[in-house]
Amino acid sequence: MLFKESLISAISSIRSNSIRSFLTSLAIIIGTAAVIAVIGIGSSAEKALEASIDDLGGRTLYVAPGQNRRGAVTKGLIPLDIKDAEALAKYKEHDWEISPTITRNRQVKFGNANINQRIGAYLPIHFGVRGYELESGRLFDEDDNLGRKRVVVLGSKIPSELKTMAGNLLNKEILIAGTSYKVIGILKEEGSTGWQNPDEELYIPLLTGSQRVFGTPNVDSINVGISNDQNVDEIMMSIEQILRAKHDIGPGQDNDFRISDYSQFADLRRQATGIFTLLIAAIAGISLVVGGIGVMNIMLVSVTERTREIGLRKALGATHSAIMLQFVVEAILLCIIGGLIGLLIGTGILWICATLFDWPFALPIGAMIGSITFSAMVGLFFGIWPAKKAAKLDPATSLRYE
Amino acid sequence: MIIKTTELKRSFEVGSETVEAIKGINLEVKAGEFLAITGPSGSGKTTLMNIIGCLDTPTSGEYFLNNKLVNELNENELAGIRNKEIGFVFQSFHLLAKNSALDNVLLPMKYAGTNIDEATIRAKHVLDQVGLTDRMNHGPTELSGGQQQRVAIARAMVNKPSILFADEPTGNLDSKTEGEVMGLFKELNEDGQTIIVITHEENIANQSKRIINIKDGLIESDTNI
Repeated sequence: MLFKESLISAISSIRSNSIRSFLTSLAIIIGTAAVIAVIGIGSSAEKALEASIDDLGGRTLYVAPGQNRRGAVTKGLIPLDIKDAEALAKYKEHDWEISPTITRNRQVKFGNANINQRIGAYLPIHFGVRGYELESGRLFDEDDNLGRKRVVVLGSKIPSELKTMAGNLLNKEILIAGTSYKVIGILKEEGSTGWQNPDEELYIPLLTGSQRVFGTPNVDSINVGISNDQNVDEIMMSIEQILRAKHDIGPGQDNDFRISDYSQFADLRRQATGIFTLLIAAIAGISLVVGGIGVMNIMLVSVTERTREIGLRKALGATHSAIMLQFVVEAILLCIIGGLIGLLIGTGILWICATLFDWPFALPIGAMIGSITFSAMVGLFFGIWPAKKAAKLDPATSLRYE
Repeated sequence: MIIKTTELKRSFEVGSETVEAIKGINLEVKAGEFLAITGPSGSGKTTLMNIIGCLDTPTSGEYFLNNKLVNELNENELAGIRNKEIGFVFQSFHLLAKNSALDNVLLPMKYAGTNIDEATIRAKHVLDQVGLTDRMNHGPTELSGGQQQRVAIARAMVNKPSILFADEPTGNLDSKTEGEVMGLFKELNEDGQTIIVITHEENIANQSKRIINIKDGLIESDTNI
């Protein structure tokens, strides 16, 4: 009953000074909002990343051009080209999918629409490796590739980018860098992976891209798809041997290419996100402590303002601990209300970010419980001194306080 | 004997000086008395009330309340006595402004730990006794001065105290409501309630049954009417 009385008294006190209470808890609000938003964004981004890694289906090794260093002189990137990919594809010891890619932005025109869009040149197996599915039409095949045919498959968002409907584009010609290409297929919506958005890309056969659009045999990277049960180190060693032989690299010389494992990227990125999250959470924690000092300040004012009330309560039989309870509850409540408002704001920010960047929206329940608990602790810690001050007031003098 | 004091003294440190507010008061009050303590400002009557009301403790001397030595009790024991044995009525009513009349009357029982259902029944009963049944859900700002003081009296009575203390209870009231409040005190006293009124007004003191006049920290006269 006493606790309920303290709670009622606290609510009425906070309500009757609503603006003051709001300003007091502002630092708590900001602190909690920051904690929720940052931790939530961190974990959503991580989930998006994990989803994108899962999308790759099994494991993908990534071979990219590397530095060619002779002594101290750096001679720029030594490119990887289609022939390197072919050499890897010819090697049948391992069961791997070799998928070289060239991507560049080019002008794309259809009717009056003129956009600058990402064009990706791939082998037909790319769709299978990524698990992309057709909405309508067909995918390009090996014949299209070897014949350097002018055919294109569109990501699901391209029709709307070109200000038309998917139905109006299928089997029509569009201009890519001034040359006309036939739209043979349109993909289903895949959703962003957090790295890139496959829905906003145009897909053409690798050789078509290499010879007709980009005019280069050089590829950006070669993805090597392997199943999860294969030995990554062995595969890496094989890739290294083949490419070193192809690039004529003598013993003792460094590789002029890099082989990386996507899951290594993921680990690195997870680590970086973790450190960043911790840092922001620490700053937000400081904000909560600063907020606590504000709460203490206003509680001291409140105790002085309510000296007569405290005197009266003591005259009616309130004990030391009853008065303590009343003011501690008020301080905690002030912090918890601030925390809850901050939680709503933080969740709002998180939701906006998740929607904007196409991340999965996941409530950071742990951080939510944690920050409300921390707010309550801040209220308890900073409320004790003012409450003690109130409890120590002499009833006879407080009753006559003007 | 409800109250018995022997050589009660209380001094205050004011700067470097020690001021003796009461200088050795011997007082006995029996159950059912209606007592007025009078005296000019600075005579020590408020200090005396604070001590026998357990809001303050004497510097020296002994104070027995219901045959229990009070001046050696600690803070929490004194709070318990204030809660159960003493009811206070103040000049400026001292009601909690944001609470209804009923909630104000419930407050002492909350500190006593009374069960809420029983507390509500008792609070409604005393509010009925002071004639405020139809006003009990109103806040102090919606009540007249006389009504506010009656809420305060109901609050003071609700824990059935041994003594009802009233410190200038009519100081903020007009003469008509003053009569109502004093009438209420007389009724309560006729029902056996011990009442001590602190006042500097002669006509208020004259409505009691015994007048103790304090001057310079000592009892100057003790008259039964």
